[in-house]
Amino acid sequence: MYEYKFARGLKQLAAAAVISVTPIGVALAEEAPIKVGFAIAQSGWLSNYDLAPYRAAIAKIDKINADGGLLGRKIEYILGDTKTEQERAATVGAEMVSSEVDLLVVSCDYDFGAPAALAANNAGIITMSLCAADPKMGVQGVGPYAFTANSAAQSEGIAIAEYAFKEMGLKTAYVLEDTTIEYNKSNCAGFRYAWKEMAGEDAIVGEDTFRNEDPSIAAQITRIKALDTAPDAIHVCSFTPGGASAVRQLRAAGIDAPILASTAMVDNYWLNAVPGLKDFYLPGFMSLYGDDPRPEMAEFLEVFKERWDALPVSSYSVLGYSLIESWAHAVEQAETVESDEVLAVMNTYKDEPFTAGPTTFTDQLHVQVNRPWLIMKVENDTFQAVEVFRNSLTPDMRLLFRVGQ
Amino acid sequence: MQNLVQILVDAVALGSLYALVALAIGLVFGVMRLINFAQADYITIGAFALVVPTASVSPPLLLGALPLAFMVGGVVTVVVLLALATERLAFRPMRGSDPATLLISSFAVSYFLQNLVMMIHSGRPKSVGIGNSLSAAIEIGGIRVPGTQLLTMGVTSVMLVAMVFFLKKTPMGIQMRAAAENFEMARLMGVKANRVIAAAFAISGIMAAAVSLLLVVQTGTLDVRMGLMPVIFAFFATVIGGMGSLPGAALGGFIVGFVIVALQAFLPPDLRAFRDAFVFMLVIGFLLFRPKGLIVNRAARERV
Repeated sequence: MYEYKFARGLKQLAAAAVISVTPIGVALAEEAPIKVGFAIAQSGWLSNYDLAPYRAAIAKIDKINADGGLLGRKIEYILGDTKTEQERAATVGAEMVSSEVDLLVVSCDYDFGAPAALAANNAGIITMSLCAADPKMGVQGVGPYAFTANSAAQSEGIAIAEYAFKEMGLKTAYVLEDTTIEYNKSNCAGFRYAWKEMAGEDAIVGEDTFRNEDPSIAAQITRIKALDTAPDAIHVCSFTPGGASAVRQLRAAGIDAPILASTAMVDNYWLNAVPGLKDFYLPGFMSLYGDDPRPEMAEFLEVFKERWDALPVSSYSVLGYSLIESWAHAVEQAETVESDEVLAVMNTYKDEPFTAGPTTFTDQLHVQVNRPWLIMKVENDTFQAVEVFRNSLTPDMRLLFRVGQ
Repeated sequence: MQNLVQILVDAVALGSLYALVALAIGLVFGVMRLINFAQADYITIGAFALVVPTASVSPPLLLGALPLAFMVGGVVTVVVLLALATERLAFRPMRGSDPATLLISSFAVSYFLQNLVMMIHSGRPKSVGIGNSLSAAIEIGGIRVPGTQLLTMGVTSVMLVAMVFFLKKTPMGIQMRAAAENFEMARLMGVKANRVIAAAFAISGIMAAAVSLLLVVQTGTLDVRMGLMPVIFAFFATVIGGMGSLPGAALGGFIVGFVIVALQAFLPPDLRAFRDAFVFMLVIGFLLFRPKGLIVNRAARERV
């Protein structure tokens, strides 16, 4: 890493020497495009989570270029397909690093994004995940140059717990945890912490686990039905398809308590699984259905539509848009794309008003812990915006990294 | 007590689903010594046939839009044709290879089919609302039986009875039993290998189609990996029940269903997340101490 930096330093020194003797070099150097690399899954199952935010990121890059570029330079992007393979992610990341990208954007998931991000971090290049919700995509995990555009999964759980307790007046909860991936466990950990903090230790009246691929959760439903008093709410930390299947089976079994879910269950595509679903709430990023109270979301959708001739298929896309926004803003402030200087600016962000919401980074935390959420509910077979809600409890480092849990 | 009965009902329902998949795997293994992991993709493709093949996240219904009889008939036709095609194109040229080679070729077919589905339908999970009225639960004396569970149990019983009838009373069934017991001898006696094996694949296709429909009615979702876990658990079921024995496969399916539900119901909360690990341990136990399974197939015995 140091050798690499040293080599880069030498190259810059040489470049500076050239520039200082030939005035025409200044103009040339300024016109050299800024390079953004995308080491993302264009094929395989992860592609459907990567492509929507990736397209939004491209829409933002094209918009910046149309508005005159960044620091007067065009942004050019290169794309590498990780094919939803961790090994290939590492290779693509290394290739991007050797093509000297100024920013490396990686997959929407810690496990699949980290191999590429590590390559960039070790080379001292800023790297950002499109939407990993794991705080390890940051200083303590990948390293000091790694960021994620998303909030920590724990803060999703906290936000929906706070909203349900304070705004909906629910007092007891049952936690149904899909143990297939870490995201769900983090989400449930956040929920448990917040619910116990507000409603008391006994306010979680029961817990159970299931696996995303379980064809049936009948045994879990039997346990809920056997409770002496039915819980006010059921928190389901899961994702589709297993989450949708669980909700379908809960409702079919006549369990009508409000369901509080994780952000991964957002957007209408799975609602066919549970026709007539209601009393289903989750913290979302934005509404794709024209009822988002924030005008910047309408603007984002317009920019996206102009670039791709269609609206985004996933509301996660706004994170890709905001990712470019947050990095470009730091580049403007630092007046250079030099990683260390851009990093120094990003680490001072405090509630910077980007499209996805106020964004805060510190030299210890490169993930959001209390960015406001758009609380959404399902009614008439569609998600509807309820209100923008900001959690006041925040996860501490122990909860973020689930130490001792 | 009531809770125990409820758990028993849950277990029978899950067991019947696994028994159905295990029967299909056991049948093909019986005649060909092939553990067909592509069975998972038959299930997946059967389910995806319900919607129009597009990359859209909320595709319109295709077979799913037809009246019930046509929908079931359509899905069965698609899966049976698929099963026959994989047999003809992938497994027939490999016939006579040792079981390990066959197993690997079934992985290759499975991988190919899974990627084909991903290419056409995209890798994103989708949802279908068919059989919604079936998913509602019926209460019988305080015991809750969701319509889908009732349906699963019904379909499995019908399939089991039909299988027994087919194997005992029809010429093709008798030939299949003969082939399962001693393939070479059966051929010498005039049993046509191609027809018997194709028939076994066709039946495994019918069962896969039934499982796809039951899974969709139960979960309301489509996913490229939806067939995988049922097939893995059904494979365990055939190991427990005895490879090559059809009653063993069915029995194994019920045992796996019972064990999963019992573990989910009685394990302490901290251990529940490791439920499947206990099932794996059971299978390892069987492999170590009773490798031929509970019901030992005569052919298997002779082979040692």
